[in-house]
Amino acid sequence: MDPYDMDDDDDQIYMQQEDSWDRDMLLDPAWEKQQRKTFTAWCNSHLRKAGTQIDNIEEDFRDGLKLMLLLEVISGERLAKPERGKMRVHKISNVNKALGFIASKGVKLVSIGAEEIVDGNAKMTLGMIWTIILRFAIQDISVEETSAKEGLLLWCQRKTAPYKNVNIQNFHISWKDGLGFCALIHRHRPELIDYAKLRKDDPMTNLNTAFDVAEKYLDIPKMLDAEDIVGTARPDQKAIMTYVSSFYHAFSGAQKAETAANRICKVLAVNQENEQLMEDYEKLASDLLEWIRRTVPWLENRAPENTMQAMQQKLEDFRDYRRLHKPPKVQEKCQLEINFNTLQTKLRLSNRPAFMPSEGKMVSDISGAWGGLEGAEKGYEEWLLNEIRRLERLDHLAEKFRQKAAIHEAWTHGKEEMLQHLDYETASLSEIKALLKKHEAFESDLAAHQDRVEQIAAIAQELNELDYYDSPSVNARCQRICDQWDGLGAMTHKRSEALQRTEKLLETIDQLYLEFAKRAAPFNNWMEGAMEDLQDTFIVHTIEEIQGLSTAHEQFKATLPEADKERQAILGIHNEIAKIVQTYHVNIAGCNPYTAINPQEVNNKWDKVRQLVPQRDQALIEEHARQQNNERLRRQFANQANVIGPWIQTKMEEIGRISIEMHGTLEDQLTHLRQYEKNIVNYKPKIEQLEGDHQLIQGALIFDNKHTNYTMEHIRVGWEQLLTTIARTINEIENQILTRDAKGISQEQMNEFRASFNHFDRKRTGMMDAEDFKTCLISMGYSLGEAEFSRIMSIVDPNRLGVVTFQAFIDFMSRETADTDTADQVVASFKVLAGDKSYILADELRRELPPDQAEYCIARMAPYSGPDGAPGALDYMSFSTALYGESDL
Amino acid sequence: MNVYSITLAGPAPWGFRLQGGKDFSMPLTVSRLTPGGKAAQAGVGVGDWVVSIAQLNAEDMTHVEAQNQIRAATDSLSLSLSR
Repeated sequence: MDPYDMDDDDDQIYMQQEDSWDRDMLLDPAWEKQQRKTFTAWCNSHLRKAGTQIDNIEEDFRDGLKLMLLLEVISGERLAKPERGKMRVHKISNVNKALGFIASKGVKLVSIGAEEIVDGNAKMTLGMIWTIILRFAIQDISVEETSAKEGLLLWCQRKTAPYKNVNIQNFHISWKDGLGFCALIHRHRPELIDYAKLRKDDPMTNLNTAFDVAEKYLDIPKMLDAEDIVGTARPDQKAIMTYVSSFYHAFSGAQKAETAANRICKVLAVNQENEQLMEDYEKLASDLLEWIRRTVPWLENRAPENTMQAMQQKLEDFRDYRRLHKPPKVQEKCQLEINFNTLQTKLRLSNRPAFMPSEGKMVSDISGAWGGLEGAEKGYEEWLLNEIRRLERLDHLAEKFRQKAAIHEAWTHGKEEMLQHLDYETASLSEIKALLKKHEAFESDLAAHQDRVEQIAAIAQELNELDYYDSPSVNARCQRICDQWDGLGAMTHKRSEALQRTEKLLETIDQLYLEFAKRAAPFNNWMEGAMEDLQDTFIVHTIEEIQGLSTAHEQFKATLPEADKERQAILGIHNEIAKIVQTYHVNIAGCNPYTAINPQEVNNKWDKVRQLVPQRDQALIEEHARQQNNERLRRQFANQANVIGPWIQTKMEEIGRISIEMHGTLEDQLTHLRQYEKNIVNYKPKIEQLEGDHQLIQGALIFDNKHTNYTMEHIRVGWEQLLTTIARTINEIENQILTRDAKGISQEQMNEFRASFNHFDRKRTGMMDAEDFKTCLISMGYSLGEAEFSRIMSIVDPNRLGVVTFQAFIDFMSRETADTDTADQVVASFKVLAGDKSYILADELRRELPPDQAEYCIARMAPYSGPDGAPGALDYMSFSTALYGESDL
Repeated sequence: MNVYSITLAGPAPWGFRLQGGKDFSMPLTVSRLTPGGKAAQAGVGVGDWVVSIAQLNAEDMTHVEAQNQIRAATDSLSLSLSR
């Protein structure tokens, strides 16, 4: 190990290192020198107190006496009595005592033996001295829990901290400039050194100044040499440490005094402080108590307020109290407690008697008072809240009351007028019923409101119980409402009765009206019917009919008494109604809702009916007469007709028979027929007469006549038919005569034709139908095909009537048996007149024929268009054929 | 009833006898045919009614009118008949 490398950081094992260094045997001669000097000075500084000194450190301690003395001085303890002998053993013994003492102080002295010291081993001695110094001067240094070397260093640093140009890091180089020493001195005794004048670059001055001052004023002998320090690169640690430790001890002594003074000051200060604290406590306590005293009554005040606002304000104040005023006080109390505790602690720590507050300001008092405050507080808060609740409830109730009362009053508004309204006096039945229903509804509404009124009363009661400040007005209103309620009840009842009474009356009247209507209507109908019937125009055609009507009329007349009774009854109903109306002063709208018929009408109609009855009687009688007349006319007509009709019939038959039968010649028949004709003509007046009667009948509007089956029309037709028939028959006969004459048919032939015709005219109609004709032809030997028969039919029945008359039959028969064609005959005749020409001239016609016939021919003849024609030639052939309806084309 | 029309080529004679007319209260009919005549060759039958002559309705014609109408046809004669 290199001693130069000794680092202060290794101070923890310094002692060991020191020992090991000691063991190293290497000792810098410069250091040795310094050490020697320093140690000597140090020892002397102590030995001085014992009145002795050393000059040579290795020599003077050889006998151990001074050593022991030194130890006694520096330790303050007595060592064992030293040996007074001069012999080596005595010396060794003394030194051992010293070493033993050192060792007893806890120092391990390794490889330092008494012999070496007795022998004067410089190194050992120095080492031992250093050990002593270390142990007794340095080891006990304690600065802020740092001890020995570190403590010393720390102490140096602390003390020199204010001096910027001083930086103590170690116990060698840092002290070279000497400012360190000066700073130390100046720090404790500033008046001794003018530090400002010192300069870093003048270490000699610094060092010497420091050493001098130290020696002169601080009683610290010079242990170091300025030249040595400046001269060596690294001064000896131990020397410096030793010297510095002297400073420490010097100043710490002063320090002690200072400390003592400080302690006294502190104690006194503590005392003063305590007293202040006590005073403070007292003051604080009394303030607090005063405040509590003031506050509690306020908290105990239970004067109730009327309004919520006031209470709210109180609550607000309380809140302020809790939030703003009390906390500081709480803090104060706390502070008081703390102060008290602190004070007590401080007193206890400083061994003073405990603090006893003055009377009434004791902790218990304060606590008590505070407890009382808090109790009052709580009570107050509770009370406030209760009050507020109460007021709230009251407000709420009051509001509820007001509201309900208002609602109720709104509802009752107008009800009284309504209940007293006399609208029912002029109402009709249905209106009354409606009013009754309305009233019923109102009654139930009223009932429903009953409990509302009760509620209102209950609330008023509660308000009273809760001692509401405005109870009187509430009660007054409640009373008003209740009174009104009773009133409404009474009025309702009254109205109900009145309505019902009126209803009953109106109902009765209504019933009567209905009755009236029920009976009056059919009666009215009956009357109207009767009137109609009585005025009913009738058309009768027979006596039975009119008699029937008369009978009905008599029956009707029989019902009149009954009807009259009914009429009386109906009128009776009406009278009853009138009576009721008058008696009960019922105000009715006036008319019967069920019918528009009134008694007046009934009576009117009845009178009319009564009037009409005789009228009808009259009418019926007249009609009866008329009918009888008619009957007479009928009979008259019938009588006549019944004669005429058959007469005509008979005549018709006779005529027919004549024409069909063939008695006598045609001329005879003709004569016969003419006679008939005359007969018939003579009969005409009778027809005329009948016509006259018929006119009468028709004039009398008689449409039937059961006395005869013959109507005038029948007769007329028959008459005309008769006339026609006779004429036709005559004509037929005449024609037959003509035909016979023209065709030269004999009477026998004619009879034959007649017989055949009659035979085939099965129906005796004077005509044959096609089938009959066919059969007839076949019977005569004609074999006919359809075409041929058609042809014949078309000739015989040109008008397509489907029948063949006798005349046509004769024509046909005669034509078939005739030799010549009639048309040819005429043509031949013309040819003669034309002188055998095929045409004829107008002159020739005029010459031969009578003038008008000639003109007739000339006008009608077509011009002859033959090849041999002359001017004015007329075609007589086509003319002739055309005359007969036959042309050859 | 069967209506048919014929057209006979002229000149006359046409070979039939016409009978009837409005003035006779008989319909115009063919009462005779000349055997082998033009009418017979055209298929006209005895008893056939003449409905129209040269497209003129023969219903209301008198005998003379019908006769004249037929006489008026020179080159050809159109007739409608029914049987």
